[in-house]
Parts: sequence; structure tokens; C-alpha cells
Amino acid sequence: MIDRGEASKYLVSKLRDELVVTSLGNEKYDLRAGGERARNFYNWNAMGMASSMALGLAMVRPDLRVIVYDGDGSLLMNLGALATIALREPENLIHIVWDNRSYAMTGGQPTATAYHTDLAAIAKGAGYPRVERTETLDAFKQAIDRALTEPGPWFIHCPIKEKPVQGGGLPSPTAIKHRFMDEIGAKH
Amino acid sequence: MAWADGMVKVLKAYNVRYLNYVPDSKIEKILQAARGLGGFEALPLTREEEGIGVVCGQSLAGGRGVMLCPTAGLGNSVNALASLAIPYRIPCPIIIGVRGDLGEFNPAQIAMGQATQGLLDALRIPVYSIKREDEVEKMTEGALRVCYASEAPVAILVTNELAGWKEGKAKT
Repeated sequence: MIDRGEASKYLVSKLRDELVVTSLGNEKYDLRAGGERARNFYNWNAMGMASSMALGLAMVRPDLRVIVYDGDGSLLMNLGALATIALREPENLIHIVWDNRSYAMTGGQPTATAYHTDLAAIAKGAGYPRVERTETLDAFKQAIDRALTEPGPWFIHCPIKEKPVQGGGLPSPTAIKHRFMDEIGAKH
Repeated sequence: MAWADGMVKVLKAYNVRYLNYVPDSKIEKILQAARGLGGFEALPLTREEEGIGVVCGQSLAGGRGVMLCPTAGLGNSVNALASLAIPYRIPCPIIIGVRGDLGEFNPAQIAMGQATQGLLDALRIPVYSIKREDEVEKMTEGALRVCYASEAPVAILVTNELAGWKEGKAKT
């Protein structure tokens, strides 16, 4: 099974000008540990919103790839976003879902993926043209290398075993926003 | 519909390009007017909460979008407003087609329609309720100015006084 920390380090090592939007879950801390970037947008607590935000970013900036760093709990809260992303078909969107089959931040309660739900199958059914399930670090690296060069939208489903992460210490919401917007030259 | 033509003219003048929507008969009038004027992209959503995320993403990228939905949809958007647009200070104009007010026939629309003003007040979101056709352009423009100046959500209500109520069979 993939170690999300190692995989995050690999992803960050491959990034150049891509934008990354995280869900509110622990994956944001692994992304940050892979190397701080002004082009990372961290969600403090907007449940399920990362995928929808990434769609908005991808619509306005088709010249940049936009990566969603999502989790099973967050995606399950906003499954409709899969249908919306698929209908709009942004070629520059890469949706990575870390699936630990639990709500890790609230005590490890099981999510639906601990039972019968298959998020890759849902993404395929929603209409994502590029869907991969990666069970090993090598498979993850291969999928990322393709997604960073070939048109999407991509959905990369990564089943993992949740491990403790060093969390906390995010900048304030407005600091995250201003740093992100300044970096890409965006103004309201 | 003249009110809708006036509204989309102002949206365009303020560089709003993206019309993210969950449909409603009043919202449909705005979409029609936008197609007539041109220069917009309409995105249908599965749920209004999604739209807050999409508008915020568009806004962070330097684009301008609006969320178009009926009053019922505001209820579906509350936590996205409270946990994203408000704390990150992201401009997010919401154009709401009023249901559950003057002339409503559907019993299940009324509670949300009547709660709309109070809900927006509780979130400290400014509300601009448009009741007359001759005030559409000024109110829309004024609301957008507040939205971009404050970097926060604002709500524009398209009322039944302005746009009429939906015809429907009263209960028997």
C-alpha cells in the first residue's frame, strides 16, 4: 500500500507551476511536508469544497494544471462535483483521492468506502475520461507522470492505510489566499 | 424580460463571465438574457454548495463568477459560505430567485423563503432585494461594488414583486 507522505514528496518534486487545492483532511499536512509552495491552497474546514474550487480555478486558468488533493470523506460529501467536473471536462484538472476508508481527523470512524463504495468506479460512471487506481508507489508515480503531461480530467484513486501525521500550523485563511493569488498574479 | 437584460448588462460591465447555476424559473430568465447578450459561460451544478466552491475557485484565479439559485438553494450553501467565502474573504455574488414569498403556491417553499433574510443576516451577508424594474441596474451594480470592495459574499434577491410569482395549482 502507498505511503501518502512518500507519495506527496514525489508529487511535490515533480511540480512546477501547477496549482494544488487541498481538502480539509490530513492529506494537506503531507502535501505541505513535501515542500511549502505558494501555489498550494489549504482548506481549513470547507467540507467537500476542494474539487469544486479546483473546477473554478481550472476554468479561469486553462494554461495551468490544477490538482485536487482530496480524501474519501471529503469527496463523499460532494459526489455531485464529479458529475459537474465531468460535464465541463477541464483537460487541466487532476483529481487525486487518498482513500483511507475513514474519517481520520475525528476518531477514525468508517466511511462508506470501508464497505461497498468504489470511488474510482463512481468517477468513471460520472464521466471522468481518465481514471486510475494506484495501489503501489510505483503505480502512483507512473499515473502522476502521465497526468502531468496528458490531457484530463484525471481521477487518481489511491487506497492507503492512514498513518499519524504532524498537523497544525497552517497560515491564516487570508494569508493563504493572498499568497496564492499574488503568486499567480490574480486580483479580485 | 427587461429586468434580466438590465441585470446581465451590469454583470458584463463588471467583467462577470461565469454564471454558475442551479435552475429556477427566474434564473432561467437571466440565463436567456445572458445568451442574448453573449460573452458568458453558464455552468450547471448538481447542488448550490458546489457553486460556492466554484465561484471561490474562479475568484482566486482572478476571474469573476456568480452563483445563481433559488431561495431553497441558499440553504444548501450555508456551510460553504461560512467555512470558505467568509473566512478567506473571497468575493462571491449570489443571485437568488425568490420562492416562498408573495403569491407562493407550494407549501414546501415557504419556510425557506421566509427564512432567507434572517439566514443571510445571521451570516452578516449584505442583502439587496430588488423589487422594481427601474432599480435593477443600480441595485445590481451597487451590490457588485460592495462585493468586490469587501471581498466577501453579497446576496441579490430577485423578488416576486419584480419578476412575478410562479403559477401553479393551489392545493385542493
